[in-house]
Amino acid sequence: MTSVAIIDYGRGNVRSVYNAFDYIGVDAVITDDATEIDNASHILLPGVGAFGDAVDALHARGLPEILHRNVIEKGKPFFGICVGMQVLAATGFEHGEHAGLGWLDAEVRRLEPGPDCLKIPHMGWNQVDLASEHPLFQGFSPETLVFYFVHSYAVTTPDTDKILGTCDYGAKFVCTLAWDNIVTTQFHPEKSQDSGIELLENFVSWKA
Amino acid sequence: MLKRRIIPKFLLRDGRLVKYRQFFDDERMAGNPVSTAKVYNDYGADEFIVLDIVPSEESKQQVRDIVKQMSEEIFMPFTVGGGVTSLDDINALLRAGADKVSVNSHAVRDPKFVAAAAQQFGDQCITVSIDYKEIAPGVPRVFIDGGREKTSHNPVDWALKMQESNCGEILITSIDRDGMMTGYDADMIAALDEKLDVPLVVSGGCGGLQHCIEAFGAGASAVAISSLFLFTDHSPIKLRSHLSSNGINVRASKTSRN
Repeated sequence: MTSVAIIDYGRGNVRSVYNAFDYIGVDAVITDDATEIDNASHILLPGVGAFGDAVDALHARGLPEILHRNVIEKGKPFFGICVGMQVLAATGFEHGEHAGLGWLDAEVRRLEPGPDCLKIPHMGWNQVDLASEHPLFQGFSPETLVFYFVHSYAVTTPDTDKILGTCDYGAKFVCTLAWDNIVTTQFHPEKSQDSGIELLENFVSWKA
Repeated sequence: MLKRRIIPKFLLRDGRLVKYRQFFDDERMAGNPVSTAKVYNDYGADEFIVLDIVPSEESKQQVRDIVKQMSEEIFMPFTVGGGVTSLDDINALLRAGADKVSVNSHAVRDPKFVAAAAQQFGDQCITVSIDYKEIAPGVPRVFIDGGREKTSHNPVDWALKMQESNCGEILITSIDRDGMMTGYDADMIAALDEKLDVPLVVSGGCGGLQHCIEAFGAGASAVAISSLFLFTDHSPIKLRSHLSSNGINVRASKTSRN
């Protein structure tokens, strides 16, 4: 039985992710409770707040250990969104230097949109260019690979095998990662209308 | 590359949608906010904005309930504002499901408010809404309290100051052009675009598809639209296809799931 644990670390708007699963018709629970997370088949880490603050909030609730047990040890399908993608990196540089969860050899750095002086935050709908195929993006075409972004920082990693797709904002940045049972997006599927709903549907039918 | 955005903008009074000309004249009722938001979600608008124009303690709770209902039905970003005077107000709207909260009068009354809000909730959550009006030809001034009170601020200088306070976006509205459907204030848009690094949403005056092309040409990141959608047969779908065929980078019209 598919059920999604949406990890609650007490920051901002996680309701919209829940509403999206409710719309799809999948059982979901917003929780920081170890038993509820252990009982879920899929785990989603939503993205809210700044990097250091998010990592601190996860630690304050003992969530890194619970996530490690379920995702790394048990291999449950895991989806990290926005800051929920970024915190998997080893180090983040938003408002100072902070250690992340370190699941990925990566850093989170401020976007550098280049000579065009593009505006920061990168806010709005942008095209995703996939580097390879993945069940998460099954059934998508270039026309539907357009998602809602709102962020000023992005992941950089030397581990290029894990880069599933990039996005162009003056310069290319990594906007989706995938390895083993883990997928992440810098954009917000829960705010990306039909394309986002389809992505979340693909996630819950993914058995990793 | 980043797409230009089409954003329906609604005004609420006592929980109902309303529309005026130049902020005060010719009130027209325009329906239920939740069902209207759902219609625009189905039309594939890129975001939407809801502003409570006559805020009170009672309407605050009403707006939070409306926001909660909206967030259950629509899966696109939306901004809520009107009567936001504390960090608690912002928190309540974000918890109810808003993605961004717009701050207007209180940003003027408490010059430290926007920086404090950006610090606590993240820059991207905080939109500063600026209403302005020409008090003499070529002399625009920021007005607060829904256009009732004049300030000494020039809108461009004020927008820059709000950017320095780390707001994530500026929503600029011309009171003179509101509801007149005679076109956006392209000079103001160009002046702001030249100075601003944060995204710029422009509002006031849209009455035709060409007006949106002019606004984007002047540097707008997004166009906010109410009269054009409420009172003509233009929809976001039609606007999108018109913009796209004129070389403006917008999302493709959505294909129906049903």
